[in-house]
Amino acid sequence: MDIAVETRALRRVYRSRNQEVVALDGVDLRVARGQRYGVLGPNGAGKTTMIKILVTLLLPSSGEARVDGLDVVHQFRELRHRIAMVSGGENVGFGMLKVKEQLWMFSQFYGMPSAPSKRRIGELLERLGLSEAADRRVSALSSGMRQKMNLIRGLITNPRILFLDEPTVALDVGAARDVRDEVRRWMAEDPTRTVILTTHYMMEADELCDRVAIVNRGRIVAEGTPAELKQRVQQNAIVDLQLSPGGRLLDALRAVEGVAAASVTEQDGLDRFSLQLSNDAALGGVMRVVEGSGRQIRGVQKREPTLEDAFVKLVGRGMAEEEQA
Amino acid sequence: MSHPSAMRIFLKTIVARAYPRFVAAYRNRAWLITETLLPLVGTIAMIYVYRALHAPARFLGFVVLGGVLLAFWQNVIWAMATQFFWDRGAGNLELFAMAPTSLAAILLGMALGGAYVSLTRAATILLVASVLFGVSYSLSGLLPALGVFVLTISALYCLGMLLASLFLFYQREAWQLADAMQEPIYFLSGFYFPVRSLGAVVGGVGSLIPLTLGLDAIRQLILPGTPQFIPLSVEVLAVVAQIIAYAALSQISLRYLERQARQDARLILRST
Amino acid sequence: MSTAIRQWRGFKAATRLGWQISSNWTQPLVFVLYSVLRPLSAAFILVVMYRVISGGGANTAAYLAFLVSGVAFWSFVQYGFAGLSNGIAEDRGEYKMLKYVYTSPAHFYVYLLGRGLAQLASAVASALIVLIVATIALGLPINPLHINYPLLLAASSLALLAVIGLAMAFGVLLLQARDAHGYGELGSGVLYVISGAIFPISVLPGILATIASLSPLVYWMESIRRSLLGSQAIRMFPSLSDGDVLLRLLVTTAATLILAHLVFSWADRTARQKGLIDMETNW
Ligand SMILES: Nc1ncnc2c1ncn2[C@@H]1O[C@H](COP(=O)(O)OP(=O)(O)O)[C@@H](O)[C@H]1O
Ligand SMILES: [Mg+2]
Repeated sequence: MDIAVETRALRRVYRSRNQEVVALDGVDLRVARGQRYGVLGPNGAGKTTMIKILVTLLLPSSGEARVDGLDVVHQFRELRHRIAMVSGGENVGFGMLKVKEQLWMFSQFYGMPSAPSKRRIGELLERLGLSEAADRRVSALSSGMRQKMNLIRGLITNPRILFLDEPTVALDVGAARDVRDEVRRWMAEDPTRTVILTTHYMMEADELCDRVAIVNRGRIVAEGTPAELKQRVQQNAIVDLQLSPGGRLLDALRAVEGVAAASVTEQDGLDRFSLQLSNDAALGGVMRVVEGSGRQIRGVQKREPTLEDAFVKLVGRGMAEEEQA
Repeated sequence: MSHPSAMRIFLKTIVARAYPRFVAAYRNRAWLITETLLPLVGTIAMIYVYRALHAPARFLGFVVLGGVLLAFWQNVIWAMATQFFWDRGAGNLELFAMAPTSLAAILLGMALGGAYVSLTRAATILLVASVLFGVSYSLSGLLPALGVFVLTISALYCLGMLLASLFLFYQREAWQLADAMQEPIYFLSGFYFPVRSLGAVVGGVGSLIPLTLGLDAIRQLILPGTPQFIPLSVEVLAVVAQIIAYAALSQISLRYLERQARQDARLILRST
Repeated sequence: MSTAIRQWRGFKAATRLGWQISSNWTQPLVFVLYSVLRPLSAAFILVVMYRVISGGGANTAAYLAFLVSGVAFWSFVQYGFAGLSNGIAEDRGEYKMLKYVYTSPAHFYVYLLGRGLAQLASAVASALIVLIVATIALGLPINPLHINYPLLLAASSLALLAVIGLAMAFGVLLLQARDAHGYGELGSGVLYVISGAIFPISVLPGILATIASLSPLVYWMESIRRSLLGSQAIRMFPSLSDGDVLLRLLVTTAATLILAHLVFSWADRTARQKGLIDMETNW
């Protein structure tokens, strides 16, 4: 197998005045060339730290990382020719430049000849439906347009490996879809390209990625294709319960016999409890607990498992819960 | 895999990083007003101090030439040395750093882009103040003075790169320090009086700033009657030595501090 | 909640904000560098300039005292004027604060006053230290026992009002500009030239000298020197008595405040109309 990215026991500790944060705690990652590889995890899981190490901006505290066969610590100069990174919500560049000027500027830092660079910028702007904005000032862009421009910045220089750190965060549905579509198209153009993308949207990982690593608290807790990961919760029945708001209920539900895992998210002013039941009889026990809580049931659905369910099963808690912890 | 040569990337980076500066100066011309008027007002204030003292005309020339070089000093400090602080905040620094270019080229690009504004500012001071207050210069020294000027500015930009790498490391504190050091530097460089008046010790310390000797040399060349601090030829040699020393030091420290910054997460903007 | 209490709260918040912004360098070292080394260097630049020209003539101490007192007290204008007028633009741009301030109950005046006052503390400390150090180092004829404190305080209070008034008007005026960067310093630079801070206004060309004689800051500078140095002071207005100088200061300050209020109201109104308060200045 041709490996694009590989890490061994990668660890990163941030030291500030009087505390240490272990952001990565022994990560072993292998990404085959040609893949769209997802790193899925809650905020604070260590996704950005991992990306920053892989793109040579940050040194690991220990462990090893190779990108395109090059060591990120020592062979970083050569590596920098071959990679690009785009982060979600970034506000980089210079607001008074025109979009095409800003893109040209960044291409020059890679030594790209101006004419091909401008041609490529034109093509990419066209492809992402930004042609009209080419002469607009960067400061005048909407956040969706800005993020598409940022994506183009990552694509102009034709990297071997493209790193996307939460590329669709805070985008509206349409812009997020455009970004994902472009990633697919770009990958389809050349089977030797690789994308590593972090996200905390499980839908995005599921829909876009060939393989996914689920990370939590600096560790990879599971890895596989989205289908394989969902397979892990296949033996359970997944039931969503929509309840009126109320006091704490999660622990009581988790204690019910036959409830393998449970998580809660807020949705339209209701609490949506996702339960993984190892047998159908467990539902009776769940209902008794709900009645005892005095909350009202606004909806019950049985549904197919998602990556979020896989996360809950593996970690024991939902992503939102992990973020608050 | 083949990719563009380091030299090519270096040159292209300089041009590309200078570009937004040109554009900023051009698209925001109102800015040019403060950028040129503010130093002009400062220069004029100092000229009136000499006027009030009934100083000989060449002293007004000292102030004008000081104001001219001051424009470049400010460019180096504010448009170059402290710039990584802002770039980091905007998230630009990490994109500069992860590109296969050098931070030195980025810095030179910034300085070059800013030099346009500095030149305008310097020219305004030179013309307006000289005409307004009737300062005249010796034409015979003009060409060599121009040569010394170019050397001085080169040394200054090399020092700027050295400072930038330090600022990258100390960040906010360094920025405040630069702000606080303005007047002390004006004092030490003899922007407003002949460097000789500082005496050997203070003048010697001040000479670490390339402006001090360069300015004195230029004054000696085009303002006859300038009290000699040290002989002209020594000053020119010292400036050349400073170019070499500061260039070498800045390269070493940029490399060292970039590595240090990768270690301490100083290149990246913390988002969470 | 009564209006007075709300205003007071706004005022306190603004003072705190002003203090935090202007002194986010809370470390003493930076304060020393910033508030002492800067003005001290500015003073010594002038001292060297004087010495180069006049050597150690008979008048030396008096002239150096003229220069030093001007520079020392100028920190009030620098902090007050540039700090405050820039502060308004900064609040819009860097701190994205202005729109909250505008919509908060405390009147904008009160907010600005609070910010100005925060700067004042730094200015007083800086002026004092510069005066003391320079007096000792240069042997200036300033004796703390012989200072005319009533004159100094009265003149400085009036001048401070004038500075704050000017700064407010100027600062709100600056909101009209897309990028007001540097205008605060430019404004205080111009004031520097026409206020007799480092040279007598009589060296200015005719029109400028006339404009200067309408500036309250000139009479403030004159009062400062007379109160600090008594009969040793080099006078810009030898024909005026101390009382006359103070009277002129009073009149010009009143005129300045009226003018400032008019400008402020106008600029404030247009700023609101044109939506300049929460304009994005990112570029
Ligand atoms: N520069 C930094 N200094 C100190 N701690 C940091 C820094 N950057 C990130 N962290 C901490 O490291 C952990 C992982 O952060 P990050 O890699 O940004 O996670 P993610 O991208 O998954 O949200 C978090 O606890 C975060 O607070
Ligand atoms: Mg992140």
